[in-house]
Amino acid sequence: MAGDKVIFACKGLSKAFGGLRAVDGVDLEVREGELRALIGPNGAGKSTFFNLVTGQLRRDRGEVYFNGHRIDGLAPYQVMRKGIARTFQITSTFRRLTALENVQVALFVHHQRHLNPLALFVPGHKSMAEQALHLLEQVGLADSAHKPAGVLSYGDQKRLELAIALASEPRLLLLDEPTAGMAPTERREAMALIARIARERGLTLLFTEHDMDVVFGYAERITVMHQGKVLVEGLPEEVRASPEVQRVYLGEHG
Amino acid sequence: MQGALRKGLVGWRVPVVGVSVLAVVGWVLFLGASLVFPKLAPVFWVQFAIDLFVLTLFGLSLNLLMGYGGMVSFGHAAYYALGAYASALLVKKAGLPMPLAFVLGPFFAAGGAMVFGFFAVRLTAIYFAMLTLAFSQIVFAVVFKWTKFTGGDDGIQGVWPIKALAAPPVSDNYYYFSLGVVLVCALLLYLIVNSPFGYTLRAIRENPRRAEMAGVNVRLHQWVAFVIAGFFAGVAGSLFVFFQGSVNPDYAGVARSTDPLIVALLGGMHNYLGPAVGALLYKIIFFYVGRQFPFLWQLIVGIILLGVILLFPGGIMGAITERRWRRLPFGRRKGVPTVAPGEVETPTGSSVGGGNGGR
Ligand SMILES: Nc1ncnc2c1ncn2[C@@H]1O[C@H](COP(=O)(O)OP(=O)(O)OP(=O)(O)O)[C@@H](O)[C@H]1O
Ligand SMILES: [Mg+2]
Repeated sequence: MAGDKVIFACKGLSKAFGGLRAVDGVDLEVREGELRALIGPNGAGKSTFFNLVTGQLRRDRGEVYFNGHRIDGLAPYQVMRKGIARTFQITSTFRRLTALENVQVALFVHHQRHLNPLALFVPGHKSMAEQALHLLEQVGLADSAHKPAGVLSYGDQKRLELAIALASEPRLLLLDEPTAGMAPTERREAMALIARIARERGLTLLFTEHDMDVVFGYAERITVMHQGKVLVEGLPEEVRASPEVQRVYLGEHG
Repeated sequence: MQGALRKGLVGWRVPVVGVSVLAVVGWVLFLGASLVFPKLAPVFWVQFAIDLFVLTLFGLSLNLLMGYGGMVSFGHAAYYALGAYASALLVKKAGLPMPLAFVLGPFFAAGGAMVFGFFAVRLTAIYFAMLTLAFSQIVFAVVFKWTKFTGGDDGIQGVWPIKALAAPPVSDNYYYFSLGVVLVCALLLYLIVNSPFGYTLRAIRENPRRAEMAGVNVRLHQWVAFVIAGFFAGVAGSLFVFFQGSVNPDYAGVARSTDPLIVALLGGMHNYLGPAVGALLYKIIFFYVGRQFPFLWQLIVGIILLGVILLFPGGIMGAITERRWRRLPFGRRKGVPTVAPGEVETPTGSSVGGGNGGR
């Protein structure tokens, strides 16, 4: 459950692609331990927002704070090292490495072994293998530990991405459509798993999602984006009742 | 029956170290044969072997970048030449004893790799390749033009090893020296590619953006790999210069840069020993074809290379281990998901910075 401490905040965050204002003056605050959904129709700017936060895209304007530190302007790897991890809308793994190796690499990096001269002559496949397997167990992938990531099903790759993200022991997890491409039952399972892990670890979660069952089933607060701007923010029932939100979504489908 | 037997043998493992018995037997045989080789073989073949050892190390060093790092360098000879020239100049101009010059040479190669690599890892794919090529051309131009210092076109002659390693036309001792140096370097490289550093390098090859998002400073990591590869190319160059007794601008030439590329592609760049196998094959082709038909030789190597790449994209070692590879997503086998659109990563470098990160 959310505490009082604001762990993540941004002010006036903006990014334009040519004339298109993909993210347009977004203010957002997320409290520690909160499960926050970021929703909005296609093209609302959700993924762009994530890319701005993680430093993958350079912002035009705005400030981003995490855990009291200003993080805008940092390189992606520096943002990650502050305690933020993310998954991608389109799955993104190390395809020719096994699932176990995928997680091991993330662990090496988190524990600073990847550039440690003393670890240069240590067999990598044995290093942190137990911890990696444990993480795979947590996301239900232990049986596929030795398969190359590229042959895993789409849903399993999403789980693997989650394990990679968890390996860095983040305090804030950004999930871009964690259940996209899954069957309906699988979606609810996957989201239940994510929510359980987040609660166990006291993680703060900011996720985008198009499946409204998932959103209203798990989000504690919801932020609705539309055309790069925050349209509404509130508790799930407030958002559900909002005429503006209904107009945006009906407008999209109508 | 046969299969079961083979499986049994492969499956046997030496307790404690856990290495397969077959591998141990293979290495013992190889080492034994290598040790008696110069006693039995004529001088020509001893020279052939030294040449092969040097090329193997050169190929292995490039493959750290190419096979494990996904960075295809067209100018790896720059570091080979830097190692060779540095060793030669340290002996000739600084008057250092050969062993010291031999040890120091590769550090000059690493220094060059540090400078050039700093810029190269900022580029990806073909741009990376072209920049590495350009750097090797710079090295070539410098050693070619700076006649006073490097001897220009003629290079530097009379760069011989200490007496213990030299006796004309080539001593068995230099053979053992090369064998030892190459084996030690190959072992170090093997440990490096299998270390956490090496696994992280492979992860970058697979998906630089994902690696960055796991907290890897992608460019720094690639840079370190570049310097290590340059260092070992420098060892190969230094080793070769004391074998030849001379160095000239060809050491930095384009042909010298394509040697390790061809060797890695022939042998297979996704197998650690691929470049070693490729080097052997390359030298054998040269022996049977190159000497008889010096003008056709390039053509024939080209055709063989084309055939290998088309038939066995994983090179010779890839073909040998094909059965295992069939299940992996390297090839175009069915049942294997293809890379999703928008997820295609260039083989080298990172999608980092510049504010162009994808969605
Ligand atoms: N690299 C880019 N260059 C140009 N335009 C872009 C780029 N990335 C995104 N856009 C545009 O910015 C807008 C916001 O895109 P974004 O991907 O952030 O939306 P989204 O909310 O994540 O949508 P979806 O729900 O479909 O994932 C879209 O109009 C998109 O076409
Ligand atoms: Mg999106």
